[in-house]
Amino acid sequence: MNAPDNQVDRILKALQERAKELNCLYRVDERLGQAGSSLKEALRDIVRLLPSGYQYPESCHARILFEGEHFEAEGFAESPWVQSSDIVVHGKAAGRVEVYYSESKPRQDEGPFLKEERKLIDAIAGRIARHVQSRQASAKGRRPASRKARGGNRRDWWAVIDFLRITDPHLLSRLSRKMVNHLCWNGVEEAQRLLQRLTSSRAQDGFDDNQPTARISLPDLMAMAEEAFHIASAHMEEDEILLKVQKWIKDDKAAFLLDALESPATTIPSLQSALQRFAQVGVEEEDLTRSTQTALRVGLMRRLFTDELEFIGTSKNFVEVADFCDVARRIVSPTDGHGKLGGKSSGLFLAAQIVKRSPEYAELLSSLKTPKTWHVTSDGLLSFIQYNHLEEVYDRKYMEIDQVRREYPHIIQVFKNSSFPPEIVQGLSMALDDFEGLPLIVRSSSLLEDRMGSAFSGKYKSLFLANQGSKKERLAALMDAIAEVYASTFGPDPIEYRAERGLLNVHEEMGIMIQEVVGTRVGDHWLPAFAGVAFSNNEFRWSPRIKREDGLLRLVPGLGTRAVDRVGDDYPVLIAPGQPGLRVNASPEEAVQYAPRKLDAINLKTGAFETIEGAKLFRQAGASYPMINEVVSVFRDGDLKRPMGLDLDFEKDDLVVTFDGLSARTPFVVQMRTLLKLLKSKLRVAVDLEFACNGKDLYLLQCRPQSYAADTAPSAIPVDVPKDRIVFSAKKYVSNGRVPDITHIVYVDPRKYNELESLAELREVGRIVGRLNKLLPRRQFILMGPGRWGSRGDIKLGVSVTYSDINNTAALVEIARKEGHYVPDLSFGTHFFQDLVEASIRYLPLFPDEAGNDFNEEFLTQSRSVLKKLLPDCGRLADTVRVIDVPAVTDGLVMRLLLNAEQDAGLALLASPSAGGGGAVEPGRKDSDSGEAPWLWRMRMLERLAAQLDCVRFGVKGLYVFGSTKNATAGPSSDIDLIIHFAGTADQQKELELWLEGWSLSLSEVNFLKTGCVTKGLLEVHYVSDEDIARKTSFAVKIGASTDAAKPILLRKPDA
Amino acid sequence: MTTTAVKGSSQKKGFNPFEMAQTQFDKVADILNLDSSARELLRQPLREYHFGIPVRMDDGTTKVFRGFRVQHNDSRGPCKGGIRFHPHETIDTVKALAMWMTWKCSVVDIPLGGGKGGVICDPHNLSQREQEQICRGWIRQIARNVGPVADVPAPDVMTNSQHMLWMLDEYEHIHGGKYPGFITGKPVGMGGSLGRTEATGYGVVYAIRESLKELGIKPAGVLASVQGFGNVAQYAIQLLQQMGGKVLCVSCWDQKEQQSFTLRKKTGVDLQALLGITDRFGGIDKAKAKDLGYEILPGDAWLEQEVDILIPAAMENQVTAENVEKIHKRVKLVAEGANGPTTPEADRVIKARGIHLVPDFLANAGGVTCSYFEQVQCNMNYFWEKDEVLGKLDLKMTSAYHAVSELAKKQKLFMRDAAYVISVRRVAQACKDRGWV
Repeated sequence: MNAPDNQVDRILKALQERAKELNCLYRVDERLGQAGSSLKEALRDIVRLLPSGYQYPESCHARILFEGEHFEAEGFAESPWVQSSDIVVHGKAAGRVEVYYSESKPRQDEGPFLKEERKLIDAIAGRIARHVQSRQASAKGRRPASRKARGGNRRDWWAVIDFLRITDPHLLSRLSRKMVNHLCWNGVEEAQRLLQRLTSSRAQDGFDDNQPTARISLPDLMAMAEEAFHIASAHMEEDEILLKVQKWIKDDKAAFLLDALESPATTIPSLQSALQRFAQVGVEEEDLTRSTQTALRVGLMRRLFTDELEFIGTSKNFVEVADFCDVARRIVSPTDGHGKLGGKSSGLFLAAQIVKRSPEYAELLSSLKTPKTWHVTSDGLLSFIQYNHLEEVYDRKYMEIDQVRREYPHIIQVFKNSSFPPEIVQGLSMALDDFEGLPLIVRSSSLLEDRMGSAFSGKYKSLFLANQGSKKERLAALMDAIAEVYASTFGPDPIEYRAERGLLNVHEEMGIMIQEVVGTRVGDHWLPAFAGVAFSNNEFRWSPRIKREDGLLRLVPGLGTRAVDRVGDDYPVLIAPGQPGLRVNASPEEAVQYAPRKLDAINLKTGAFETIEGAKLFRQAGASYPMINEVVSVFRDGDLKRPMGLDLDFEKDDLVVTFDGLSARTPFVVQMRTLLKLLKSKLRVAVDLEFACNGKDLYLLQCRPQSYAADTAPSAIPVDVPKDRIVFSAKKYVSNGRVPDITHIVYVDPRKYNELESLAELREVGRIVGRLNKLLPRRQFILMGPGRWGSRGDIKLGVSVTYSDINNTAALVEIARKEGHYVPDLSFGTHFFQDLVEASIRYLPLFPDEAGNDFNEEFLTQSRSVLKKLLPDCGRLADTVRVIDVPAVTDGLVMRLLLNAEQDAGLALLASPSAGGGGAVEPGRKDSDSGEAPWLWRMRMLERLAAQLDCVRFGVKGLYVFGSTKNATAGPSSDIDLIIHFAGTADQQKELELWLEGWSLSLSEVNFLKTGCVTKGLLEVHYVSDEDIARKTSFAVKIGASTDAAKPILLRKPDA
Repeated sequence: MTTTAVKGSSQKKGFNPFEMAQTQFDKVADILNLDSSARELLRQPLREYHFGIPVRMDDGTTKVFRGFRVQHNDSRGPCKGGIRFHPHETIDTVKALAMWMTWKCSVVDIPLGGGKGGVICDPHNLSQREQEQICRGWIRQIARNVGPVADVPAPDVMTNSQHMLWMLDEYEHIHGGKYPGFITGKPVGMGGSLGRTEATGYGVVYAIRESLKELGIKPAGVLASVQGFGNVAQYAIQLLQQMGGKVLCVSCWDQKEQQSFTLRKKTGVDLQALLGITDRFGGIDKAKAKDLGYEILPGDAWLEQEVDILIPAAMENQVTAENVEKIHKRVKLVAEGANGPTTPEADRVIKARGIHLVPDFLANAGGVTCSYFEQVQCNMNYFWEKDEVLGKLDLKMTSAYHAVSELAKKQKLFMRDAAYVISVRRVAQACKDRGWV
């Protein structure tokens, strides 16, 4: 696209050259006019300036010979391609200006030189001669008056005008038009008169004139120009005129880029070359007028990133055209592409520019980098589909979800076996060369992704590539990965998600980001020293001293994949950047227990993405693990010590990942805190960042608005709830969340608990809670109790429980009752804080005695308690531990817990059960599509099963369902808990088991198609005998239980 | 004074740990028939210090923390006891624990008294710097009333060797000299003693060895079942196997499943192999254990095994009224490696069945004895090799065991009661000898 192959391009090219020449001439003049420096210095500078006026500045060198001396820039060498002009002082040649090209260039008017360049070099030689003369004159004793100096300037700008008159009259006419307008704006009457003349008198009558305006001929325009500048010289400072003219000339130079941006027909490749040309023209953006700058920036944001006005509005203050030039160099697009780069790319791009343009934090953040990134534009997907004739995928999003799921593996394979259009292959090949063999991550950057409020995090694929082997292999692997990411657009998860968000009908295009994986080689593995995610808002405060705006870091060694998702069997290190001293785990034992044990890495040998044991890797890698002293501490004799110097013995030492060194000895935490604050204030939205460090530099990998997973979204708190419907409210230390259908409240009465006399009784309370935890419906009950749950110290200050005693609760509530003047501190769940976070169990502290807090003590202490029915042997403590079956005492209402961290408010109210059931949302749980709720479907299937069950043949006397299916809380992966009242023989039981196994597997398969959850059979069958029922042993306790009883299912009548 | 009187006084407030400790003491005092002045002296601490510790917080504000030190009795030597950081610390708890320390030091017959201290604070809400200021502030308030020859603190709930070093540093700064014997629980190389890791587990086995001698059972081939696989259990198993014993099963906690389980191998567990698949908290990898040929049994199966010895070395309240009946009839000895593993109801059953019991505060006294050794070594500024520490520990544990056992036989007391009686008697005697009562 660089060859000037059409008219417009030729004109553009020519115009660029004129501008260059003018600029050069102007700068030479400026240099000569500079007071206080010697002629020699001036000449030395001029040889450096000169090449900028030529067509090929990079291979252009200048030399000035003057009065026997040589002035030349570094790297000067003579060559056969030369242009020169004599410096004639007082009629004698006193020297010569020479311009050389260091290599052969296409033939132009004078060898490789343009005719305008001849004019330029002559003009410059002339300026130097005149300057020498004036120096000699002043040296003879005539002091230059200040008026004289201004006169010198005047001569300069007139010279520019003169020069333009000869070389580019059109440019001059545009300049004069701008000048007239400028003068009019400033209220200069002569200019207004001139303008009237220009636009002819008729135009004054108004715009609704239907006659064509008379055309003004060019010579007239030239005269106008003369006049305009005459008027200007009378009303404006010389410097000002010069500055204006200069800016307008530059604006004119940038016009081609604006044209390209405004035209909807401009393809991405031509935009790329326009940007490239802009970079080569050598215009400094700050030389352009403000309006042109803004127009360019906005245009570029819109074309490359997004149409969202808000985003553009924010970003235009932080980006510069040159930044886009960098991005544009690494874009792969279809030849006729018009696509964008997608949400992920724009977020990261903008964040990087904000950091770059915040000089106040330069010292702290200048080392922050972003990884090298190539982009495939969003229409790459379209061209891929068209190229391979895969149009059948377009309507997938309107199919039934189980069909989508069933065919998805097939789609992946079809995509992987398709080929890419040649221009894309070529682009990707260039990208691979650029990455120089570094491992890569291929990420989706969907246009829907990362928009405010709808973070498609994890819905589309991100794939790691080791990027090892021959170029051919690597290219094949890269294309394979992109095809798979493309296929994920048509996967069931994103389609379901879009359906929920009402985004199904939005046209979806998918950009691709190919990023180097920040890391370093450790043995056979590639991984960063550490990585993680950072949030502006801390939704999981473990101490009342931590404020929400103190933020949160989740840090892990190795790839950040383990910090982004909750992995269940491992923990990230949590730091509140605003309060780095307050760690979740205060004692060495806690720090060790909740330390990350595993890390994710890319195996460069096998090319696989692996999870490895940290201890093993540290032992093998030893000091070659980057920043090992900052990452681990040594656990010895019950102490954790930060290693110093060569302290570590990798064979023997027990190394624990604590990041103590990182927070104590490096500016990392301050950097992250500053970064979070900066981005939040500039973007005016709380952010969610991903970062990684390879041991040397810290990299920002992603920046998007902080959004909430379904389980951590703030709930709206209603204000008009009648008092009698409120159970309690909170106004302090509230996190986000919502537990819609609480059926049971376990209330440990603080006053009664305090009155217990014996240690045994106090301990018994903990044991009762543990037993209730296993009896009550999972995530549908809450625990409320005094002070500190799980306190390891004085048992009086909180119920003695371990995490296993509370792990099924939906929320843990600590009640701080005033004792005299003293309100006890609460634990904030610190004893199992990280377990609570990873399991999404809400924590809420209550201060019933503080003004403005509701606490319906009557409801909690006077409602009928079912403890005695549940645990008949706990009668003694029935006053202390109360279990309220909410629907039973409220005519079918449930308790709903609404939490909102933004308002720092929480409310528990009695309400009708929400439609479709559903307890607290568990992590990883996906609510199914618009179809029926999982429990409803399960129930329906059970009825079918019951209808087909031959009771006589199998010896079955009854069938009961309990657990999540019965309670309408089943999630997509829940199993179906059945109790079978069995009274047959061993053979019958075997046969029955086989029959049920078939059902179980079939149901599991259907469930997979509906939800994507893989289960090993869906039925969990418990057999009870007549004896069990009589004695209420085993699962028979569930039958006819006073709370959460199993529900009988109607069986087929024996064939009659 | 009788138990009913105590109960009457506690009616308004519910459970009170100090009253419980006093009740326990009263019971022993009745057995010893102590006179009223001795009872009066020992029912209360000798000295109680309450003070404020102002600390400049990281955010520039100043907060005042409440600190305590209780010196229950120093008739047999300087007080010894930990410093607890706890948000709901109460003076009653500290007083109870100080008294408990007096008996604990006395039962192993080391020349130390009982003390305890604490600060009302929650380390979860404090930065390291703020905790350091609390430690130094605590010392500044009490520096004149503690010291290597008066009262020796140690780590306890939510305090560790780092806190001890800050405190030691502040103390030495105030007194202008080096006094490593002022505090224990320091790291090896900074005044800590070797053998500390092994001390408690080994101590349990020294007591077992002496018990077996008395029961006339040869250690070679003796069968044991261990609850827990932490520090104490691991070293106990090691030494027991060295003596020729066999450990049939161990139980441990499964962090992932949030429940415990028991591993059994009929030929005896292989300690080294198990350690290879164990995390830092004594959690054994269940799947790998299965591969190694271990049977996986429910959490409390350790208690039902056909063995000679049960070693509960996990946590409190493990042998209860519900499961005590499941103890196999072959079991002849229960050695309590953990604190309070047996509930009073279960205690009665064990007593009735005639199973020999080494009570917790005797069986696991290896820890406090080693702290005493740390102090001794610090005071002379000369540190023993590990063998020497463990040799001396053996001597102390052995003689302590026999003293208790002899008393139990002579007075026909249950071992737990005998241990209390002997420790209270020694302290009361010292008070009398000094002419205090």
